Amino acid sequence: MIRSLLIVLYGFVLGSGLARSSESVPVVASGRAQLLDALLTPPARQIAAVRALIGVEDAAITPALTAWRAGELYLVPLPNGALVPATLATAPDGGDFLVAISVLDGLPVPDSASGVGSAHPLRIVPKSLKSLETTATLRRAIRDVLEVAGVADASPSVRYESIERLGQSRKAEHLPLLQARLAIEKTPAVSRALADAIAFIQLSDSSPTVRLVAIAALGEAHSLAAASRFKELLAATPPPSSEEVAALSAALKKIESHWKTVNFFGDLFRGLSAGSVLLLIALGLAITFGLMGVINMAHGELMVVGAYSTFVTQNLFVSALGTASPFLNLYFIAALPAAFFSAALVGLALERGVIQFLYKRPLESLLATWGVSLALQQTFRLIFGPANVQINAPSWLQGSAAFHDVLFAYNRLFVIGFAALVVFGVWLVLNRTSLGLLVRAVMQNRQMASCIGVRATRVNMLTFAFGSGLAGLAGACLSQLGNVGPSMGQLHIIDSFMVVVSGGVGNILGSVAASLGIGTVDQLLQPLLGAVMGKILVLFAIILFLQWRPGGLFPTRSRSLD
Amino acid sequence: MSHPIIQAEDVTKTFDGFRAINALNFYLFPGELRTVIGPNGAGKSTFFDLLTGRAKPDTGGIEYTPIQNTPSTDLAKLNEYEIQRLGIGRKFQTPSVFAEQTVFTNLVLSLNGPRGVFASLFHRLDSADRDRLDDLLKLVRLGDKRHWKAGLLSHGEKQWLEIGMLLASEPRVLLVDEPAAGMTDEETHRTGELLLSLAGKHSIVVVEHDMTFVKQISINGQVTVLHQGSVLCEGKFDDVQSNDKVREVYLGRGKN
Amino acid sequence: MSVPAKLSDVEPRFFTRAQWASFLLPTLLLALVLPLLNALLPSEHLLRPSDFTLNLYGKYATYAVLALGVDLLWGFLGILSLGQALFFALGGYAFGMHLLLMIGKDGQYKSKLPDYMVFLGYKALPVHWQPFYSFSFATCAVLVIPALIAFVFGWLAFRSRIKGVYLSILTQALTYAAALLFFRNDFGFGGNNGFTDFKRVLGADLNSPTTRRVLYVSSVLLLAGVFLLYRWLTRAKFGHLLQAIRDGENRVLFSGYATASYKLFVFVLVAAITGIAGALYVPQVGIINPSEMTPEKSLEAVVWVAVGGRGTLLGPVLGAFFVNALKSWATRSVPELWLYIIGGLFIVVVLFLPGGLISLPARFRLLWARYRSRASRPDSSTFFQQP
Repeated sequence: MIRSLLIVLYGFVLGSGLARSSESVPVVASGRAQLLDALLTPPARQIAAVRALIGVEDAAITPALTAWRAGELYLVPLPNGALVPATLATAPDGGDFLVAISVLDGLPVPDSASGVGSAHPLRIVPKSLKSLETTATLRRAIRDVLEVAGVADASPSVRYESIERLGQSRKAEHLPLLQARLAIEKTPAVSRALADAIAFIQLSDSSPTVRLVAIAALGEAHSLAAASRFKELLAATPPPSSEEVAALSAALKKIESHWKTVNFFGDLFRGLSAGSVLLLIALGLAITFGLMGVINMAHGELMVVGAYSTFVTQNLFVSALGTASPFLNLYFIAALPAAFFSAALVGLALERGVIQFLYKRPLESLLATWGVSLALQQTFRLIFGPANVQINAPSWLQGSAAFHDVLFAYNRLFVIGFAALVVFGVWLVLNRTSLGLLVRAVMQNRQMASCIGVRATRVNMLTFAFGSGLAGLAGACLSQLGNVGPSMGQLHIIDSFMVVVSGGVGNILGSVAASLGIGTVDQLLQPLLGAVMGKILVLFAIILFLQWRPGGLFPTRSRSLD
Repeated sequence: MSHPIIQAEDVTKTFDGFRAINALNFYLFPGELRTVIGPNGAGKSTFFDLLTGRAKPDTGGIEYTPIQNTPSTDLAKLNEYEIQRLGIGRKFQTPSVFAEQTVFTNLVLSLNGPRGVFASLFHRLDSADRDRLDDLLKLVRLGDKRHWKAGLLSHGEKQWLEIGMLLASEPRVLLVDEPAAGMTDEETHRTGELLLSLAGKHSIVVVEHDMTFVKQISINGQVTVLHQGSVLCEGKFDDVQSNDKVREVYLGRGKN
Repeated sequence: MSVPAKLSDVEPRFFTRAQWASFLLPTLLLALVLPLLNALLPSEHLLRPSDFTLNLYGKYATYAVLALGVDLLWGFLGILSLGQALFFALGGYAFGMHLLLMIGKDGQYKSKLPDYMVFLGYKALPVHWQPFYSFSFATCAVLVIPALIAFVFGWLAFRSRIKGVYLSILTQALTYAAALLFFRNDFGFGGNNGFTDFKRVLGADLNSPTTRRVLYVSSVLLLAGVFLLYRWLTRAKFGHLLQAIRDGENRVLFSGYATASYKLFVFVLVAAITGIAGALYVPQVGIINPSEMTPEKSLEAVVWVAVGGRGTLLGPVLGAFFVNALKSWATRSVPELWLYIIGGLFIVVVLFLPGGLISLPARFRLLWARYRSRASRPDSSTFFQQP
C-alpha cells in the first residue's frame, strides 16, 4: 500500500514527461505500425499479429484493443483509400451524424475534403460502417495482450499496478515478459516491483534453487505481499523442505522486523506531531498560568476561536474568489494572523472583564474562567451550529512524503515546524525584547514593578492577550488535523494542563519537553493498549512522576514559607 | 564535656549552583543559648531549614542527641513534622501564625501532645491544659486578646504569639529566627530576658541582626559568625566584635 | 437558621438551642411532614406535594451530600477536588450493578444477564459481578470502592505535597480518565448508556409510591446525618486544624502535624460518603451513565457550594437545592440559555459574592448599618470606624 502510494507519487512527477517524449521515440512508432498491421491484416494472420503486440510499448494499443474486443472499433475509409481505426461518437454540435475518433492519436478524423489543415471532423452517417469483427480465439488473444499491456504503459503508476497484478497471478507464462521489461525499465520503483513480481512468480518454480533465491530476494525487498504468501507456504501441506522452511522463516522475520521499525518511526512521527499540537496549546497556558498565576479554563475555547476564524477566513476566500481559484490555497496563510488576533482579542476582553480581579488566585480564576468557557461554548453553538464545520486543507498541506517506507504527512510536518517556530518566537519575545523584560518583571513582583514605573495593568493585558493569541494559533493548526466543533476545546484542555503541571510552571523549556514527551508516549502506547488505556497510563505516569519531582521537570524555587 | 545535642558536620547545601551552606560545622550543647549573626546571604535561614527538615543537605550529617548517652538521630532523614515531634521547635523570620484562627486556638494547636488524626478528632482540653494556656497567654501578654483573630494582631504581637506557640510545644531545642524584628525596644529587651530565662532548661539558637539585642542575650553564651555558608569565627561577644575578619565581612573589604 | 462554622473558642457546644431548633425543624418538615402529606392527602389536594416533587427533592438531597463533601474539602481544607463526581458516580455504579442484577429475567431479552450484556454477546455473568447479587455486599462496595480510589490517589498526591490548583488539575484528569474508561463498551459497564431500567430494590417495586417515598426519606435522613457528622468534624480542634491547613499548610507541618494524613483522612471519608449519596441517587433517577462522572459534573457541584457559601455547612445545602431547582426550571423553559446562566453564576459568585448566598443577610445588615449611620451622622467620621 505504501509502495503503491510511492508509485503514484512518481507517476505525478514523471508521467507527463514520459508521455510527451513518447511521440519522438522510434520504438513507439514501430509499435503503432505493429498495431495497424494487426488491425488491417487478413483474419488468418490476425491472431499471430495480435499476439506479437505482447510487451510492445504504445499508448494506443490498450484503447484500440479494448474497443476491438467490445466490438466498437471501426475502420474508417479516407478519400485517399487509407483506413483509419477509430471509435464513433456523437458529434459535438449535435445533429444526426457521428464523428470518428482515431484510436491512434485520440483525435477526430478530419474531413480531408474540406481542405488541408481543416478542423472539420469527418462526418459519418450512423450504421454506414460495420465494426471490425472478432472471433473467440481472437478475443482470447486480445485479452492476453491487454492483461500484460499495463506492463508497457507510459505511466509508471499503471505499470506498477499491472506488474503487481501479474506477480499476484503467479503465472509462470508472464516471466519472459517481466524479465524483458526489467531489462529496459528506467523507473527505479517500477524496476523493484518487477523484480518482486518475478521473484513472487518464481516462488512456485519447480527448481528449489530458483525458489530459494526468490525467497531471499523477497525478504530483502521487505515485500508485505510476500510475507503473507510466506505464511501460507509455511502452513501448507505437505510442508516445504527444511531448507526452504529455514529460508522462508528468515525472510519472514526480516520483513516483519522491517515493518515493525517502519511502524515505530511512523508512530514516533505522529507522536511528535501530537506533541507539537499539545505544545502549541500548552505554551499559551504556560504563559497565562505559569507567569501570571491564572488558571484559564477557557483556554480551550480561545483555541476554538482560532479554529473558527480559520473557518471564517476560508469562507471569505471562497466567496471572494470562487471555488475554482488557485489562490484559495492561500487562505490558510491569511487564517494564521486572523486566528491569532481574534483569539487575542477575546482573551483581552476576558482579562479586562474577569481575570484582572483574580491575579494570583488560581482556584478562583479556575472557577470564573470555567464559567466563561461554558458561555463561549454555547455562543459557538448558537453562531456556528452544534455540528462540526468543514475546513478544507490547502493543497500544499495534503499528501505526504515517504522516506524508507515511513510516511510523513505534510500537515503534520507543518505543525511540527510551526510549533518550533512559535516556541522560538515566544522565547525571543520573552528574553530578547523590552516587552519580555517588563513581563518577567511584573510576573515576579507586581508591586515592585509598579513602583519603578512599569504599567503593570498594560503588561498584564498584553501578556494575557499574547497567551490567548497563541491558543488561537494552536486552534488554526488543529483545524488542519481534526474536527472543528463547539466542544473541541474540552478535548485538549486537560492534556495541556498536564503538560504545564509536569513541565514545571512557567518554564518554556519544561513545556516543550513535557508536551513532546507526553505526545510521543501517548502515541507509542496507543497501538499496544488502545487510545483510552494509553491516556490513562500517561495520566498515572504523570502522577507518579510528580511523586518523584513534585515541582515538575524544571521547578521554580522560592524561599517564602507558602 | 557533655555530648552536643545538635552536631552538624561538613554540611553543604547548594541551590542551583549557589552554595548556601559550605562545609559547615556546628555544635550546640545542652542548655546553651547560642547567637548566630552574619551578613545577609550568609546562610542563616538555610541552616535553620536544614535543621528543621525544610531542606535536605547535599552532603554531611546533622546528628540530634536529645538525651545524653542515647543513640542519636540523623535529622537529614526526617521531615518537618517528625523533627518537630522530636523536640526541635522553630520561630520563623516573618511571623507565621494561623491568621484565621484566634490567639487561643493558635496556642491550642501548638500545645504539646499527640498529633495524630484521631487524637485531634477526640481531643479535649483538660484543666492542666487550660492552666498552661492561661500562663502562656499571660507570658506573651495577649490575655485580653485571646479571642482575636491572630491576623488582626500587630507585627510585634504576632512575634510574641509565635514565641508563645513555640513554648506551648515544649521543645528541647528552640530555633529562633530574628525575634526582635518589629518589636519596640522595651519588647525586645523583654524577649531577651525571656530567652535568657529559658536557657539551661532548653537549648536555644537565636539568629539576630540587632547588635544591642545580641549583646544582651550572649552575656553568658557564645556568638557564631556565619559567612558565605560556613563559620567565620566563634566566641564571646566582645571577642567576636573585635575580630578583624568579622569587621572586614561586616564593613566591607575596601576599608582597612 | 444559621450555624456559624467558625466558633471563637476551641471547644464550643455542638449546637446552641437555637441551632438545634433550626436544624430539626427543616429536617422534620422534609423527612416527615412532606412524605406524610404525600401519602395521606388525596392527589388533587392543594397541600399535597406531588410524587414528582418528592422525587426531585430526594435527588437534590443526594446532590446536597455531594456538595457538603466538596465544601468540607474545599471550604474547610482548601482542596478543590474536581473528582467528587467520580466518587458519586462510582457509588452509583456499584449500587447500579446490584439493581441491574435484581431485574432478573424481566429485562427486554428475558435473560438472566443484564440487557446490555446480552446485546454485547456475553455468555455468562463476569466473575466480579457475582457478589453484587448480595445487597449487603453492594452496600459495602458503595462505600469501599470510592474510598479505595480516593485512598490510592490521595496517598500518592498528598504524600508528594501536590496541592492547590495542581491537585485540582490532577483530580480533574483522574475523573476524565475514568469517564473515558466507562464510556468504552469493552470496559464492561454498559458504555455510553450505563445502567437503566431498574425494576426493584430489596424486593420492593421501584415504581411504587411507597418505595419512592422510602428512598426520598432515606436521602433526607442521609443528608441530615452527614450534616451532623461534618459539623462534628469541623468543630473543635480537628476543624481548626483543617482550616489551619487551608490557610498555611507549612506552618501546620512545622507544628508537628502530618498534614498529609489529615488530608487523606478527610478525602477518603468524603469519598465514601459521596459514594453513598450516589447510590441513593441512582434508584431515584433510574439511570447511571458515564456522563455523571465527568469533570464538568464536579465543577457543577463546586458551583453549588460557591453559590450557597463555602466554608459553611448550610451554604452547600442551600446551593445544591437552589442551583438545581434553577437548572430544572431553565433546562425546561430556556434550554439554550442554561449554559449562560450557570457560566454567569460561576463568574458572579467568584467576583462579587465570595461568601455565597449565605453571606447575603450579613451583607445587607452591614449595608443597612452604614446607611443608618450615614443618615444620622453625615460627617466623615464613620470612615474610620471598624466594621
